[in-house]
Amino acid sequence: MKYILIVPIFITFIGCNPSITKEEFAPQMYVEHPTSILVLPPINKSTAADAKDYYLTTVAEPLTNSGYYVYPIEIVSDVLKQEGLSDTETMLNVPPQKFREFFGADAVMYVTILKWNTSYLIVSGSVTVQIECEIKSTKTGATIWYYNDEISVNTSGDSGNAGGLAGLLIQAATTAIKTAATDYVPVAKDVNTKILLAIPFGKYNKEFNRDMKTKIELKKKSEKK
Amino acid sequence: MKIKFSLLLAIIVMQFIGCKPEAQFFWGNYSKTLYAYKKSPSDKTLADHKKSLTEIISVSLRKRKPVPPGVYAELGFIFEKEGNSKDGMDNFNQEIILYPESKEFIEKLENGFQSGENK
Repeated sequence: MKYILIVPIFITFIGCNPSITKEEFAPQMYVEHPTSILVLPPINKSTAADAKDYYLTTVAEPLTNSGYYVYPIEIVSDVLKQEGLSDTETMLNVPPQKFREFFGADAVMYVTILKWNTSYLIVSGSVTVQIECEIKSTKTGATIWYYNDEISVNTSGDSGNAGGLAGLLIQAATTAIKTAATDYVPVAKDVNTKILLAIPFGKYNKEFNRDMKTKIELKKKSEKK
Repeated sequence: MKIKFSLLLAIIVMQFIGCKPEAQFFWGNYSKTLYAYKKSPSDKTLADHKKSLTEIISVSLRKRKPVPPGVYAELGFIFEKEGNSKDGMDNFNQEIILYPESKEFIEKLENGFQSGENK
C-alpha cells in the first residue's frame, strides 16, 4: 500500500529539473506563429574564419525539421549581395519590416557567432561554441525568440577503451589527429540542432502548437540583455 | 514471472520506438556538398551539390515525404545560372506549389532572370 504513494512522488521528482517550458521561454512565438524565417548570414566574432560557413550550411536542416519554411540560404546570400547588403553589420540597420516587403518573410533570424573554439583535451576532442540567435517579427520588429548560450560538442566519436597508459596515449594521439582533420560539418549540425531544441515547432512539424509545455534545458527566459 | 518479463520487454521496446522519431525531411548530403562548394567553388563541387539536390528530391518522393523547403528553389537557381531557363522555371514553380509562402520571393527571382538582371 505504501508503495502506491511512493511511485507518483518519485515520478514527479524525475520531471522536476530546474528547466522552463518553451512557452515560458518564448511566449511571443505562440502569439505570432511565424511560418517562414529568413536566416541572415551570421556575424562572426570568433577566431575561426570558417565558422560562418559551417553555421550557414548546416542551419536549414534542423530549422526546417522544426517546421519552418526557411528561405534558401544560398540564394538569400546571393540576393543580399546584389542589393548591396553583403556586409552583415549593415543589415542590422535595415528594419525587420523591410524583409517582409522584399522576401515575404514572417520573421528574420540574426545570428552572431561569439565563440567557436576547438580544444584539445587529453583524451577527447571537443568544440565549444557560443552563439547568439535572435528572431524578430517582420510585423512589429519586436524580438520574439532570443537565445544566447554556450554549447559543447564532442568530436572524438566513440572509440573503444584500450586499457592502460599506452592505450590512453594512443587514444590521445588519434583524438588530436581526428580533431585537426575532422570534417566539422556534422559537428556544426549538432550545434544548430542543440540550439533549435529551444524553438517552438512551426507549421510543418506534426507537433505544431502542441509543445508549449515541453521543457527545455534553459533556465533563463528568452530576453536580450 | 513470465508475464512480468514480457511486460518489461514491451515497455523497453516501446521506449525505443518512441525514442527517435524520423525527421520531417530528408536532407541527404546537402550540408556537406554545400560546404565543399562554398569552401572551394569549382565546376566539380557545384556538380556534386547539384547531385545532392536532385538526390534529395528523388529520395523524398520515393519515401513519400515532402521535398524540404528551398531545395527546388536552389536547384532552379543553379539551372538558371547555367542558362537552362526551362528547368529553372519548372523547379521555381515546384517550390511555389509546395510552399506558397515562397511565392513572393520566387516570383521576384523569376522576374530577375527573365529580365536578365540576375546572371
